[in-house]
Amino acid sequence: MAQPRVLVVGGGLAGLAASMRLAELGVDVDLMSLVPVKRSHSVCAQGGINSVNALTRQQGDNEWKHLDDTVYGGDFLQHQPPVKEMADWGPRIIDLMDRLGVPFNRTPEGFRDQRRFGGTLYKRTAFAGATTGQQLLYALDEQVRRFEVEGKIRKYEFWDFLSPVIDDSGRCRGAVCQDMVSMQFRSFAADAVILATGGCGLVYGRSTMSMVCTGSAVSRVYQAGAAYGNGEFIQVHPTAIPGADKLRLMSESARGEGGRVWVPRTPQDTRDPRTIPEAERFYFLEERYPKYMNLVPRDIATREIFDICTTDGLSVEKDRLCVYLDLTHIPKETLDRKLGGILDIYEKFQGVDPRTAPMKIFPAVHYSMGGLWVDYERSPTGGMLEGSPRNQQTSVPGLYAIGECDYQYHGANRLGANSLLSCIFSGLFCAAGVQASAGAKRAPAAESLYAAALRREEERHEALIQRRGGGENPYGIHHELGDLMTRVATVVRRNDQLAPAYDEVCALEERWRRCSLSDTGNWTNQNVVFTKSLGDMFPLAKLIIKGALLRDECRGAHYKPDFEMPGIAATDPEGKRREAEEWCDRFEANTNKWLKSTIANHGADGHPQITYEDIDTSLIPPRPRLYGLVGGEVIEEVWRERLRAREVNGGQAATREVGVGAQS
Amino acid sequence: MTLPSFVSRHQFLIYRLFSLSGLIPVGAFLVVHLLTNASVLGGAASFQSRVDMIHSLGPLLIPVEFAFIFLPMLFHAAVGFAIIAGGLPNVGSYPYMGNVRYTLQRATGMIAFAFILWHIIQLHWLGAPLGGGRFDPHHATSSAATVIAPLGVSLLYAIGVLSAVFHLSNGLWTIGITWGLWTSPAAMQRANVISIIVGVVLAAAGLGAIGGLRSTDVAAARQVETRMEDFKRMMEGQAPGAAAGGHGAAGSRVIVPAADAIDLRGPSEPSALVIPTPTTSSSPPGN
Amino acid sequence: MIMKTDDHGGPTAARTIPVRVLRQDAPGQESYWERHDVPWEPNMNVISVLQKVAAIARSQDGRPVAPVAWDCNCLEEVCGSCTMLINGRTRMACSALVDRLLEEHPDGIELRPMSKFPVVRDLVVDRRRLFHSLQRVKAWVPVDDSFDHGPGPRISPEEQEEAYPLAECMSCGCCLEACPQFTRIETPKRDGETDEQLAARRTAAFDQGFIGAHAVSQAVLFNKHPTGKMIADERMAALTGPGGIQMCGNAQNCVAVCPKHIPLTRSIARAGRSATLWALKKLFDR
Repeated sequence: MAQPRVLVVGGGLAGLAASMRLAELGVDVDLMSLVPVKRSHSVCAQGGINSVNALTRQQGDNEWKHLDDTVYGGDFLQHQPPVKEMADWGPRIIDLMDRLGVPFNRTPEGFRDQRRFGGTLYKRTAFAGATTGQQLLYALDEQVRRFEVEGKIRKYEFWDFLSPVIDDSGRCRGAVCQDMVSMQFRSFAADAVILATGGCGLVYGRSTMSMVCTGSAVSRVYQAGAAYGNGEFIQVHPTAIPGADKLRLMSESARGEGGRVWVPRTPQDTRDPRTIPEAERFYFLEERYPKYMNLVPRDIATREIFDICTTDGLSVEKDRLCVYLDLTHIPKETLDRKLGGILDIYEKFQGVDPRTAPMKIFPAVHYSMGGLWVDYERSPTGGMLEGSPRNQQTSVPGLYAIGECDYQYHGANRLGANSLLSCIFSGLFCAAGVQASAGAKRAPAAESLYAAALRREEERHEALIQRRGGGENPYGIHHELGDLMTRVATVVRRNDQLAPAYDEVCALEERWRRCSLSDTGNWTNQNVVFTKSLGDMFPLAKLIIKGALLRDECRGAHYKPDFEMPGIAATDPEGKRREAEEWCDRFEANTNKWLKSTIANHGADGHPQITYEDIDTSLIPPRPRLYGLVGGEVIEEVWRERLRAREVNGGQAATREVGVGAQS
Repeated sequence: MTLPSFVSRHQFLIYRLFSLSGLIPVGAFLVVHLLTNASVLGGAASFQSRVDMIHSLGPLLIPVEFAFIFLPMLFHAAVGFAIIAGGLPNVGSYPYMGNVRYTLQRATGMIAFAFILWHIIQLHWLGAPLGGGRFDPHHATSSAATVIAPLGVSLLYAIGVLSAVFHLSNGLWTIGITWGLWTSPAAMQRANVISIIVGVVLAAAGLGAIGGLRSTDVAAARQVETRMEDFKRMMEGQAPGAAAGGHGAAGSRVIVPAADAIDLRGPSEPSALVIPTPTTSSSPPGN
Repeated sequence: MIMKTDDHGGPTAARTIPVRVLRQDAPGQESYWERHDVPWEPNMNVISVLQKVAAIARSQDGRPVAPVAWDCNCLEEVCGSCTMLINGRTRMACSALVDRLLEEHPDGIELRPMSKFPVVRDLVVDRRRLFHSLQRVKAWVPVDDSFDHGPGPRISPEEQEEAYPLAECMSCGCCLEACPQFTRIETPKRDGETDEQLAARRTAAFDQGFIGAHAVSQAVLFNKHPTGKMIADERMAALTGPGGIQMCGNAQNCVAVCPKHIPLTRSIARAGRSATLWALKKLFDR
């Protein structure tokens, strides 16, 4: 048979890594992207990439601990074998990126330098200045360009993935796509299709994500039958700069260097913040957390900042939620020395010097832990079996998902500097399995299959273009959807908000059906491309809200105050002990009930059908995250006793210190 | 092979030769020429002796001029015009210093080329119809002073000379970048200072010569030149075996040190010219 | 003209920003100016202005118009998408703050597509030539494969600090737009020409054109890398080939407009030095 041909959709870290490895394996690759692949969202990652390294190894670190940190940080909501495989591959991946020319920061002796990120005790994070994601992406982009010159990879940039082509047996045989310049449709026959299209931040209107992160490709395969996992797990970064067009990250280091978070006690005080006297300022983090002050963990900071603006109505501005992050009490020279780069970013995009005026910040949607459900084959050593066609395969055979658009690696919350690793890893690792899948003997798909799929998309397009008189504005609807999602489905989730919000999303979707286009032409029509992708945001919004509504617990990024497990109230030792036992009972009960992946399937009625999937926690048994909990030490004591009792029965247990869960 | 494909294949070599030719020999010639002219400030005799020195090449002068001046200059100009035609100056949108200099480099190149054409045709052949007159190498100072006497001609000369000087000194700076002599911003800055100094010195020399010629007493200069001419003839007549070579043969060189020249600027009376004893072993300076 | 609102948000007319956009419906068509009045908001950048233009979809005189097409993605000045001419000068739209622009030009904001690349539509241009230049100079490290061969070469902090700024180039094209030596190459499709023939003709045209500062700088970057330099000769051949480094006219606009402040002129001078030595070596070694 002919040379296997694979269609890779998305040219970020994952898509490029997969394309490179596939081309190397001799597979012909069509690489498709909404933007030139060098402009993919991966360039925005600043911090670094995690892996065990020679230095941390000598301090007692190993791949197992990286696995442990990752699943603990993710609140155990991920299958452990793929995470183990990723941690095992970490050192090799960093070495590879090093060989590809990534300018990692160096020690005086010329080794790669490392820094410590949240959620671990070790300096695991290799970094290249403040643009690690950009540097990693460019290194892969360069290799892909090399294969492009050799004719092994053909790029389709400014192309929109519209739908998978699925044959009668249910296997994905290619895709229908549209050239966003000429607006021409084309079907691509492929022996396998890999989706590497990233997160869905635009469902929230503005986020830290790039404008291509609409989630539309993922939504389209979801609507075509692929299952979606853990949709409700959306990571929110506590400090972002709210802009009219997007929310830009403000590094946590601003608080680390002494930044103070406050709001005026008078709601929407119109005075210049510098003239507001101390007594009329509310340093709410310092007052509520006298021990940790402004350096409370990210999830707590996120919730408090969110709550002070929404529940307490103390946002600095009326039309825009934000609080002050104040550095003006720190000498300018100190700021320049320690925070120069990030303060320049604020000044560049806000036009205000944070050395003299307090910054305005607010939490922002940052990463989707959830994504397309993907399979894996467990290896005898507890990792993933390389070369298995099941690895990273969605519920549609022949259709694969890698990178941020799969649900595989980060559970309920992502550890800082793990995303770059998971993207490159899943891209490299899946290639052998995809090759096996693509190379398997099967009858070529009928031409009529592609023709029919193509016609469907053309008709859908024509219907949208021809639609008249609805009067609804897609940009306005997107704005409303974003506001709604940000209000109910980010930091703090309440069932009495989520339930009506679901109906509101459905109502918005109805209104979307009445959108009329302001551009009905057939040349570089961004209006119709956007309107289509907006329509595909609703199924995702619905599965996020429904998943959040049904999940009555707190886990990782999913926080429901009504289901929080309070700490210990008793003060006497006996009472403490009793409450701790009860706490652990409740924790175990909750684990039994909720330590499951949420799986959404697109119903024929347009509503998500939610089921739950058991999780492979065979490597590291789940344990409570007790950071900052009153009486945490007693609970930990009780928990350890129970663990030891279980160990007698031969169970394997982790003996890691309970540390700080973190996100990035 | 067609010309475009030849040019395209050897574009790098052609551009580098273009760059080099601007410095050597064209730039070097400009320096010698301007400094020679500036010697008029030392008096008619000083200038005349230098002109004589150049003309002592005799029949070789024309081939030497073509090989080392005209042809390189034509090459430099031809490639230069091609480069100018291929560029899109945008100093209006991007008024940065480097860009201003880029634009001036092209403007001065074109001005200098037009000026040089006029300068040669006027001095060598056509003379008065083009303004001024013709240059007489035996009466260097007086003929040059006559040529340049009209204010308009002087101004054209000033513009031409300044354009050529800017073009050379700025070119000096860019040559260093092109060939990779100075690469860091700091080194470029230092080189810039040097190029400015060179430019100022050459501009002073060029303008000085114009000023010097304008303030020359033509009659007095002519006297000096005539006396020098007579003396030369006399020396040639006596020198054994010199007749065949005309005034270009070895042993017939007349050196008039500038220090011995008379000051011809101002309305001073002509004084006696001291003619030193010719020495056959001396060679012309700065050749 | 800007109507000012009073400080307390009184009943005066909302303040608007006059925006003039040079539009073009498709390649080969006439361009035309269109005026939009966009409601002012705090902290706007040119991207948010264009978002509002798209949402309003009406010109200043109330006529319904198609939204202006433009390129953007990260909005953090790191992806290189949103290059355009803002008040006549090339820059990234995401970091162009409206209030600053109005301080400089109170009459409003003028947006034009880049002039050195063929217009696709409105503010969208075709920058394939820019990426093609990266192919010409082989801007990559020629590794054997992506399998495990241990770490890369040791690199001193000084070398890293030199390489990193060059590696930050996001292929936005500002350096090319501002370069007076870089001129537009457009290859409109001819009658009866297949896509492959067009692509071949376009590639041939690109191969003759000036590679530009960004590609020179990438060649310098990879020629410094211990593994990258193993094909340094191939890069030098490209740098000294048609449209190579010799086309530079030393206007130094590239370094002045580079949004990432990449030392492009230093790269150019270094490439010039390498080219000198390489040409001499070739001359005497053959």
